Amino acid sequence: MKTVAKIGGKVALTALIAFVGTFTLYITNGENKLIYYVIRPLLNKHYDNQVRDRRIV
Amino acid sequence: MKDLKHLIYFENLLQDAQNELVTKAVENGDKALGYNCYYIPEVLLNLEGCFSSRLRAPNCTSTDIANYYMTNRTCPYARSILERAIEGGYNYLSCLFGAESCATIERLEEHFFVINPVKHDGFFVTQIDPPMKGDQTNLDYYKAELELKVVGPMRDRLGIDTSDAAMRKAIELHNEISRIITEIGNMRKLDNPPITGYEFHVINLVTQVCPQRLILPYLQETLEELRTRKPEEKFPFRSRVVLMGSEVDDPEFTKLIEMCGAMVVADRYCFGSIPGREEIEILDGESAFDAICRHYLHWNQCARFMDGMKIDQRHEVVKQLVEDYKADGIIVENMKFCEFWSYEKVLANHIFTNEYHIPCCTIEKEYALGAMGQLRTRFQAFIESLEIKSIQGGN
Amino acid sequence: MFDKAIAAIDKKLQRFDPIWMAENGKGGQRTRYYDKTGVAKYREWRGVRDTMVDYVAWLKNLASMARMVASAPIPCLKGFWEYRWMGSYLGTFMFIDRLFEGYRGYELKIAHLNMHAIVHSLTRKIALILSNDRRLGGGPLTDVMVPMDEVLPPLFMTGFKELVAIPLQLLPEFIVCDIDQHNNPYYIDVAESFGLPADVCSRCAAETGVAMDDAFPLIGKAMVSTNMPCNASEATSMFQRRRIGMPDFPATLAMMHNEPGGNKFSTQVLKDCIAFIEKEYGVKYDWDNLFKHAALMNEQNRIELEKWDIMKTPYSSLVGIAETLYRLYQWAAANGQEKYFNKVDRKVIKIMRKSYSEKYIPFPGKTRHRAFLWGPSAVYYTDFPTWTQNCWGINIVLNMDSTMGHNMINTSDPELAIEDLAKFTEKAVMRHHAVGGWDNFNAVWEWAKNFNCDMVLYNDNIACKGTLGVHAVMEEQARDLGFHFIFVEHDLQDSRTVSRQAMRNCINGYMSVVLGEEPLDPTIVEFDDSDAY
Repeated sequence: MKTVAKIGGKVALTALIAFVGTFTLYITNGENKLIYYVIRPLLNKHYDNQVRDRRIV
Repeated sequence: MKDLKHLIYFENLLQDAQNELVTKAVENGDKALGYNCYYIPEVLLNLEGCFSSRLRAPNCTSTDIANYYMTNRTCPYARSILERAIEGGYNYLSCLFGAESCATIERLEEHFFVINPVKHDGFFVTQIDPPMKGDQTNLDYYKAELELKVVGPMRDRLGIDTSDAAMRKAIELHNEISRIITEIGNMRKLDNPPITGYEFHVINLVTQVCPQRLILPYLQETLEELRTRKPEEKFPFRSRVVLMGSEVDDPEFTKLIEMCGAMVVADRYCFGSIPGREEIEILDGESAFDAICRHYLHWNQCARFMDGMKIDQRHEVVKQLVEDYKADGIIVENMKFCEFWSYEKVLANHIFTNEYHIPCCTIEKEYALGAMGQLRTRFQAFIESLEIKSIQGGN
Repeated sequence: MFDKAIAAIDKKLQRFDPIWMAENGKGGQRTRYYDKTGVAKYREWRGVRDTMVDYVAWLKNLASMARMVASAPIPCLKGFWEYRWMGSYLGTFMFIDRLFEGYRGYELKIAHLNMHAIVHSLTRKIALILSNDRRLGGGPLTDVMVPMDEVLPPLFMTGFKELVAIPLQLLPEFIVCDIDQHNNPYYIDVAESFGLPADVCSRCAAETGVAMDDAFPLIGKAMVSTNMPCNASEATSMFQRRRIGMPDFPATLAMMHNEPGGNKFSTQVLKDCIAFIEKEYGVKYDWDNLFKHAALMNEQNRIELEKWDIMKTPYSSLVGIAETLYRLYQWAAANGQEKYFNKVDRKVIKIMRKSYSEKYIPFPGKTRHRAFLWGPSAVYYTDFPTWTQNCWGINIVLNMDSTMGHNMINTSDPELAIEDLAKFTEKAVMRHHAVGGWDNFNAVWEWAKNFNCDMVLYNDNIACKGTLGVHAVMEEQARDLGFHFIFVEHDLQDSRTVSRQAMRNCINGYMSVVLGEEPLDPTIVEFDDSDAY
């Protein structure tokens, strides 16, 4: 019984932490800020430096 | 060169859609059948009792009313035709045989029945859905569409004899006109031709906008005259070019190129003679109608064709023209806002320049000849480059 | 007790709810954004229940994306590295957020059900394509994939059970433009650098640019192009066939398809296309497999027709872009190939029936006009219908593209089935109305009347020759028939020519000057979102 409660508690705690973590990310729009201000500028720099095989053929 | 006897007469015939010969034919009881595009076989409209009238809007300098209907962001050819229709310039037409050759032409033709600009008793419009490939499936569809939208209405609504015998007679007339135009056109292959590109353009255009039975005697006489016409002592142009592209129904455009120093030796554009003036051959066991459909689908080189065979054909034909007419280069023009020729221009330029190694110049134009200065500069620069190339021995 | 607690929290936090803010003069939807960027400082607070609905949907979409990367980690990484358009997919979350701003209750639930179906399908498609892209190393399915023009509905291809039909332009060009307005201009510039005039349709210019930039995934052994939807699309296929360099079959169906003989011709074209695939791929067509998938599409269309019946009333909780985008994807991309969409449709219609029986009105009290959106819509401003509702209370009830092929397909007789398929295909996206003949285009008034609309928004794509060509005739008819009629100028996939704000101004001008109405949310009448995805 104790073990079940312990596991249940752990699951609940993990779920709670996961919820708090993901909800915080969600409500603060964290992932979009990261993508917009950090990831995309880096990727765009890479794309702009690409040498593409540009032709009609 | 000595002036051609009928040139001024021909030029005058091009000043109005309803010219002197059109009026005469209508007064004689013939029905004028309008069309815009090669997809509608001209020969079918020249059966006994009627005649073809390929729509032009000469001297159309303003398209204000058409802009209201179609905006100023659509093909200026289409808008000019609508403007002229609203002005009453096509009231001699008994009908318009349209083709959904492109979205803008489709819309233009729809205006002919939506706002009824043509004031002629019983005037009607039909539109075919033209094929986009050259295979059997598309040929069958083309035949079905022409029967349904052109031959049927001619027979049932206009009372025209559309029998096989009548069609054979129309083919004879077509072939006779074609033989004359081809012989005149072939003179441009000579090193020092007895005709200019401008003159040829005028002569060919009158065959498309005048009743063919009435223009024929003038053509025969002109051919005779040309057979003995003495060219200039020395070829008066600095180079020779093939003109390829969409609608060019204003000979002044050809004149502009020639004034810059290049003779237009071949006319591979809408309203040109290539294609258009090839003889129609009726094969054994084939009906005249079938022969017409096969002929027009085979020779059609519209930029809207999508299958590889037809795409390659339109480039190979031009390559062949360059060889046959000893051209130094190609000018590819497209009417502003023309989707098909906008794309084709890019592809053709690539193929001609990089694969065929033929110098190529691409330009975009309005329907009414405007921006002459810009075009002149482009042509002059191109012709200069052709000259330099020729001086350097083609390198 | 629970409800009371939620009500208390809602009351406490309502000052963060943009609808409440707008109603009380304390701000509105735009208040939470950083200027120009489209990046919100925090996500929309919609009350506890609706925020949780939105949060769970976000989690589900996140999981789909994680699954995509986990299922093909190396191809996905390579794809991000190789293709500029892949980078734009990172804007998906921001895209979904802006689509459903102001949505609450049933309409939010349905919107997310629909949107997740798209994310679910698209993420799988991306993983599948990248894993088999020859450029990235290829995969087991590379040679059994059939790249097809995205406008050609792939349903008829389900008769080849060994093959996988892939709408070729969908990933690199079409969907990505919905998500990121800055992506397509790059490809348009590539095409224009080769001399393509700027006045052609920007969708096709972008496709041409993708081909010239060598940015199409390399899959399959032979491809199927089409004459749909329009002239520029026909012309761009010339470049794609050259650059991709595979045998191709242009499926050129009847354009003016209402004509007698049109369907017979289109049927033959489909048969020719099937014969081409059989020859190129060495496989046999299996009609039973087609029937199986046609039945799925039939069910979707049956449900669609029921949805339309509800949408004709004020009690439809399927609204605006939630309807449009789903229908477009469900029809043009999923197209009877994915059972998941049938599941979603069943769920959605259930909610719609329930909300109808409850006489639930979406955007309570905020809708002033019911509008029909006609003409090809701006792909770079997918959330435009959301904005019209939030700003002016214009509920876009249905979009022209949603009315595409909804005929049933025979599921027992091959000959009848292929005829039905031809009919279905002829009524594909954009081409059915915009270039399919006058009667089809002029059908807008009947549609608008049937859906009880008082307004028609006419998508005035500045490069669409099919719609530009009848400008005045449409306007004159609107006047005669008594519809409010607004031209919404746009450039389909090039936001530089007509910005989103310029599009908004078309509505702003009419609503404020002609109708003299006040905006529901003044913060979104004029704002700069030029740097937003």
